[in-house]
Amino acid sequence: MIPENLKYTKEHEWIRVEGDVGVVGITDHAQEALGDVVFVELPSPGKKVAQGEEACSIESSKAASSIYAPAGGTVKDVNEDVTADPSLVNSDPYGKGWIYTLELSDPAELGNLLTPEQYKELL
Amino acid sequence: MPESESSSPRATPLQEKHVAAGGRMVDFAGWLLPIQYESMLGEHRHCREATSLFDTSHMGQFLIAGPTAAEELSRALTQNAEILPVGRGKYGFLLNDAGGVIDDTILFRLGRDEFLFVVNAGPADGDADVMRQRLSKAKLTIQGGWGKLDVQGPTSRAALAPLVEADLGALPYFGCCRTRIHGRRGIVARSGYTGELGYEVFLPAEDLPALWDELVKNPDVKPAGLGARDSLRLEMAYPLYGHELSLQINPIEADLGRYVDPFGPYVGAEALRKVAQACLTRKLAALKSSQRRPFRTHDKIVAEGKEIGEISSGAFSPSLEAAVGMGFLPAGFADISTELIVKTARAEIPVTVVEKPFYKNGTCRKKQ
Repeated sequence: MIPENLKYTKEHEWIRVEGDVGVVGITDHAQEALGDVVFVELPSPGKKVAQGEEACSIESSKAASSIYAPAGGTVKDVNEDVTADPSLVNSDPYGKGWIYTLELSDPAELGNLLTPEQYKELL
Repeated sequence: MPESESSSPRATPLQEKHVAAGGRMVDFAGWLLPIQYESMLGEHRHCREATSLFDTSHMGQFLIAGPTAAEELSRALTQNAEILPVGRGKYGFLLNDAGGVIDDTILFRLGRDEFLFVVNAGPADGDADVMRQRLSKAKLTIQGGWGKLDVQGPTSRAALAPLVEADLGALPYFGCCRTRIHGRRGIVARSGYTGELGYEVFLPAEDLPALWDELVKNPDVKPAGLGARDSLRLEMAYPLYGHELSLQINPIEADLGRYVDPFGPYVGAEALRKVAQACLTRKLAALKSSQRRPFRTHDKIVAEGKEIGEISSGAFSPSLEAAVGMGFLPAGFADISTELIVKTARAEIPVTVVEKPFYKNGTCRKKQ
């Protein structure tokens, strides 16, 4: 499942851009590979991240993994629902399982990301 | 867990069933086994509520027989075979001279002169060598053409009983018998590794797939993988060989002293007497976090800013909805209610030393 309206990273994050804000999560492939998500470490709102930098982390029943910033910016909102119920990342990775939003510092960086077609090829 | 052999992993008699059920197959101790089917957490919870099937055909099964078997086994293992009643099993250890654990095992007495010895997959070949050295007249046969299916969960008796000739309701905890299972000659024992009411079913390899098919017709019965098996045993604070037990760890340090009689006649007893008489330098403790963030094997345990030990097993506990684990601690830090820190690559997690088991509602000892 690779929605058409998103951009992707090679590390299996997705970003949905609405104006100068991007919503970030992990892909269906990523949640499937991770297995049951048991803990999401949300970034602190206001945290500045560069493109490709670790923004926060996620723990599954198997292992811990980094969640990288698909683009540079400042963390705006975080999804407290996945703190209470991390399984949302498994059950709805592109919807209720979103992780944080970013105020983009340079929307031109989005050009470095993968299109749905390119991400599909990567898998 | 033990390192696997270099050659390609062996398939169990249920390999095709696992693949058909969507099992994610991994190499475990030289065997191809499912780590999970759909979800480790889901499989864990199912076993606590209904009935789960675990393919444990990788484990070693040795038959030991002869008029001197009981006496010889008493000297080879910590289990006192001479006083073990027929139809009962006992958990214990194969030790070396230093009291280190070669393997943790269950010995079942099938008849006056016949025993079934069940061992872990990784150490199995070495166990057979050691046993052959320690036994003289008693005959050891590796039951190689057999498999094993663990049927575990609070409803497991209802699921399995209609398929077993013997009366499962009359089988006590750690009871065992030869009987017919789904029409085939096998062995059933009331034991397991989950903390729930459950049975271990030993059958010739060719008879296992049909039993599996029959059991999964019941909507209460679902397969579970190695991932759930590990989190279920960890919630019970059961040891896993290679983690809480090894050649470098003796049973008393591992907090399993109740399973060994230091005055017994077995190999390793003398070393255990010395351990029992001295002050313990380290002890296995159960550690619980109040948060979900898991800690894992080899994460460091810290007290007063100093590293004092490491995690032997750690995971998210689905039943407690919190991180739990075990680790060896210097004796002064292993007391109940001691507060410590576990340092992972990303976080410092406060934990408390708690009583075992973590999960206290297991049905394994449920009366008939």
